[in-house]
Amino acid sequence: MEKAKRKAVFDVVDEYLRRAETMAERMFASGWNEVASSIEPLSNIFVGATEVVVTIDLPYCDSESVKLKIIDEDTLEVYAKTRQMIKLDDFGIKHRRGEFSCFHTVIHVPVPVNEEGISSKLKRGVLEVRLPRAI
Amino acid sequence: MDVVRFVERHEVPKKFVLVVGLPDVGLVGVVAASHLVSSLRLKEIASIESELFPPIIVLHEGVPKSPARVFSSPEIVVIVSETAIPANAIHPLADSIVNWASQKGARLVVSVGGMAVQNRQDIEKPKVFAAVSDKSLSKSIRDAAEVLGEGYIVGPYGLILKRCAEMGLPAITLLTQAFYNYPDPEAAAAAVLALNKILDLNVDVSELLHKGEEIRLRAKDVMKRTQAEMAKMNKSQEYDIPPLYG
Repeated sequence: MEKAKRKAVFDVVDEYLRRAETMAERMFASGWNEVASSIEPLSNIFVGATEVVVTIDLPYCDSESVKLKIIDEDTLEVYAKTRQMIKLDDFGIKHRRGEFSCFHTVIHVPVPVNEEGISSKLKRGVLEVRLPRAI
Repeated sequence: MDVVRFVERHEVPKKFVLVVGLPDVGLVGVVAASHLVSSLRLKEIASIESELFPPIIVLHEGVPKSPARVFSSPEIVVIVSETAIPANAIHPLADSIVNWASQKGARLVVSVGGMAVQNRQDIEKPKVFAAVSDKSLSKSIRDAAEVLGEGYIVGPYGLILKRCAEMGLPAITLLTQAFYNYPDPEAAAAAVLALNKILDLNVDVSELLHKGEEIRLRAKDVMKRTQAEMAKMNKSQEYDIPPLYG
């Protein structure tokens, strides 16, 4: 019992550190992951009384290429393949090499949500995901 | 030494219209002002320097440049910044822009920005609103924008408008419906069309719309840093309703 309780505390600390690292990464990293060929998109979260609305800016993407996954009841993973390969060279960047084929992000939602009833639409290049709040 | 300085490299035209495009909601001002610079083939005439700005230079065609620069033709002068303005630099920058414009004989200052709307995805044609330093300017706006009566403007554009009003320098702030924290070239195009009407320009926006996705991706990182600065200056207060009339 004592052992289990101590483990739970470490789990909480680990979780806290993991989230702090993720937040720091999201705040300060440029979001162009050359190793994974992915781009971290801009996103926004609106918490309503009955649902959470997450929007994600996805230029160069079509709705068919978007994949959504609820990892925990408060974590949304979004992946979207771009229509074309995006190269840093196309933007005149010479000192870095990078080719990107997708957007990828993991978004922590501030309240628990239900995977059932999730809906999404891509309009004007912005993905809108509606997540019902867990009661 | 002034906290914010204009370093001129070429002569500033007389009786010019000043267009200001600083990073703000949807980067509307930056995208619109950059489009004016390229479409009208404006010449770089000055840079804006300050120790309050991040220690950044931007390379263009191998040449180091200040991220905040001034471009001109004989009739129009455009200020555009390629980097987010730190919240603590907003006041001195706004003062400096108005003082410089006044000293150089500007006849009108037009600031171009965005107005965040939550249902932006559902808006086909973003609407342009205007705030004026003097009610008499409402006529010159004609049908280009709807003049605002009540509300808050948070950030450099509010300060520029107020300072211009105090100094008697005619000024208009154009605010186009836009995504709050996503670069919005469609909104920038609507702002340019409003500028066409107000300033009798003929700037084509088709390239701006055609390259929309590229602009959104290129401007992503500046938008992210701008969002952090907007949070520091309580930009969300623009949604508030002022408690007093008149």
